[in-house]
Amino acid sequence: MQILVVDDDPLACEMTATLLEFQGYTTVMANDAMEATQQLDSLDTIGLIVSDMHMPLINGIEFLKMLREQGVTLPFILLTGDSPDSTLMQTPGLNACLQKDAELESTLGNAVTQALNG
Amino acid sequence: MALDIKRFIQRFIEEASDHLPRLREGIEALEQGDTHQERINELFRAAHTLKGSSRMLKLTPITAIAHSTEELLSALRDGTQTASPDVTCLLNQATDALSDRVNQLAQGASPAELAEADHQLCQAMENAAVGKLSTSSPPVTVVPHNDTAKNDKTENDDAGIVSPYAALPTTKSATLPAQELRLTDTVRVRLDRLDDVIRLMGEVLSGHHHLHSLVEQARSLSTSLPKDQQAPFNAFSRELKDSVLSHDGLMSDLHDRALQMRMLPLSVVFDPLSQMARDLAHSLDKQVHCRVHGSEIELDRQMIDRLSDPLIHLLRNALDHGLETPDERQAAGKPIRGQLSLEAWQDGSWVVIEMRDDGTGISLEAVRRKALSKQLLSEEQLLALTEQETLELIFLPGFSTKPLITDFSGRGVGMDVVKRTVIDELNGDLRLSSHSGKGTCFTLRLPLSLAMMRVLLINVGAVTLGVTAPYVSELVEHASTNFIDAAGQKTLILRNEFVPVVSLAELLDLPYTPTESGNLLLLVVHQRHQKLALIIDALVDERDMVIKPLPTHLRHLPLVSGMVTLGRSTLVSLLHVPTLLEHSRRYAPKVLTKTDQPPQAHRILVVDDSLNTREIEKDVLEAWGYQVTLAENGRDGLNKALADSFDAVLTDVEMPVMDGFALTASLRENEIYRYKPIIIITSREKEADRRRGIEVGADAYIVKGSFDQNNLVDTLKALLG
Repeated sequence: MQILVVDDDPLACEMTATLLEFQGYTTVMANDAMEATQQLDSLDTIGLIVSDMHMPLINGIEFLKMLREQGVTLPFILLTGDSPDSTLMQTPGLNACLQKDAELESTLGNAVTQALNG
Repeated sequence: MALDIKRFIQRFIEEASDHLPRLREGIEALEQGDTHQERINELFRAAHTLKGSSRMLKLTPITAIAHSTEELLSALRDGTQTASPDVTCLLNQATDALSDRVNQLAQGASPAELAEADHQLCQAMENAAVGKLSTSSPPVTVVPHNDTAKNDKTENDDAGIVSPYAALPTTKSATLPAQELRLTDTVRVRLDRLDDVIRLMGEVLSGHHHLHSLVEQARSLSTSLPKDQQAPFNAFSRELKDSVLSHDGLMSDLHDRALQMRMLPLSVVFDPLSQMARDLAHSLDKQVHCRVHGSEIELDRQMIDRLSDPLIHLLRNALDHGLETPDERQAAGKPIRGQLSLEAWQDGSWVVIEMRDDGTGISLEAVRRKALSKQLLSEEQLLALTEQETLELIFLPGFSTKPLITDFSGRGVGMDVVKRTVIDELNGDLRLSSHSGKGTCFTLRLPLSLAMMRVLLINVGAVTLGVTAPYVSELVEHASTNFIDAAGQKTLILRNEFVPVVSLAELLDLPYTPTESGNLLLLVVHQRHQKLALIIDALVDERDMVIKPLPTHLRHLPLVSGMVTLGRSTLVSLLHVPTLLEHSRRYAPKVLTKTDQPPQAHRILVVDDSLNTREIEKDVLEAWGYQVTLAENGRDGLNKALADSFDAVLTDVEMPVMDGFALTASLRENEIYRYKPIIIITSREKEADRRRGIEVGADAYIVKGSFDQNNLVDTLKALLG
């Protein structure tokens, strides 16, 4: 199983992937939603998506909606640079909404475990 | 064991170094009125990205500033706030604050050691985001660099306590860890190797040129062969020629590319300078906003290396002497925060760097007083100077207008050193303009690279010499009968200008047999406004050549600025034009017969925008015993005429700011000059111009083309009675 990490900021993308890899997951990276879609099309080993919220063209929530409309039911974790507000957290189909901060290592680890086991 | 994500900090620094210039550029665009949605979105994304990654790395102060910046940009994006000057000022400060902290990181500070976010600044941005702009100027953000930057002025002699700036610029490297131009080690290694490659390329290129003469020799050899052997030999020499030519292009291409690899962006110098401007202003209790533009322009590393000292000196000068304290600025009705702009742009094969401040400007009166007190010039010499020339006295060795020796001035390095570095070492040019109360601007003009320059090779007698193209104005042919005699100085009238003519052989004391017949070939060289026509024998070639520095034991030779190789082993000296011009001034024969000296010296005002023409007319008039004052345009002339009383005015027509016709008309309206002699001396020959000159009130109209000093003096004498 691989985790697809989507973030337009290459540094944040790599950091997130590193956090996940440190916890034993393998990752694939994409710098925007379009690239992510291509990755999903070409790889059938992806088991979970971790996506940034603020991205040019298609943001994280729109990306989630797009996937759900296409029938993709993979667990989806949204990351955001801002403090997540409640409406965002309650978006249907979203497994978790986390703030990108120094605690991401543990919060993301928990959210991934929960999403995969739940 | 937890994961150490801190290893991404270096990446963060790199990423931030990418985003920050874009932020600056975007804010600059906003200031210029470019408020396109996409522009603001870009800015927002840059701030947002910085916030996101800094938060993951626990770089709390950066996150806080980026967050507030993002809030303000978000208000701009939503249209609830506009990009007013107050808003862009806040954004600029935020960018400065972010740069400061990124710099700290780059200098090895740990995340915990970062200077805290300036809460007032963050608050001001967040207030502005909800439409509450505070009216007072927001606080200055200054980040002490590290422990060496505690601004304790009393202890500045202890190495490293204050003042990164105290010992600048001569011993900069010893005391300025923070401002040093730091190139990463890996790059440095590569550059060293590159230097070698470029040096070798230069040698190969010079050697290659020799092949051209071999091709030529082969061709002439064939004619001496018996007929039946000529055909195969010709085929051989044609092939040789083709091969040499095809290598020409390849080689210069290769050399160009090697040189390009050694180019560095000006940001290497500009970024530390803008940081230094803020710190230095803070130490001087002044406030400054430093705006940088054009730092992406690339120059050869050799230039960049040598550029930092003069720029640091100019910066110190601007902040210490130019910029007023906040109180003084307020009293003068200016915003309390001074503006310093550092701009670069490309102009042909030159790069122009401009440092401009909106400070107090240079006081001409103070410059005059200082020049007198230092006995650099006599009172009479001072009177003869134009405003620009007076201003440029600050470049004289040992000149300083500041009466007070502060931590920042009086360290023995003057503007003369800056000027010398720019002109002599960097083959560039330094100009200065200043307006009292409004500010000062220094303009440096530099070649892109010192390694390779266009060189004109000329022959004088049996000697071949080189002149770098930037100093060459034109090459003209004239019969010696075309020269006029102006105060004993042979002079050429080149369009609207008098240009002194000197035999290069005589100037350099070279063995030489003058040719009497036919036209003379003149190489007109220039430095800034000054021109000189050198009589030469022939132009040998013009091409891009690799300039070799002089060996140490020859560096004291002022007339030679470097060497180029010609053929396989011939070295050709490059003439140093600034010294040559200086030499010619001393060499110029002054014929001061003064046979007809008037009993009481009449005072004449000479107005012309050409330095050469002014100087030559002055020489002529002084040779006849007149006392001469110079002005560089109509406005300058009018001011001088009104401030003083002259017996006659001599003016050119075409001049910037105010032309000679307008000057004449204005003078005639003045009581004092209603009947004083005014002579127009111009290259305009048309009858209509002559009529116009008489209409505006000139007493005489002399055409430069038919200039005769006796005619001028006779006219003056007749008019003065």
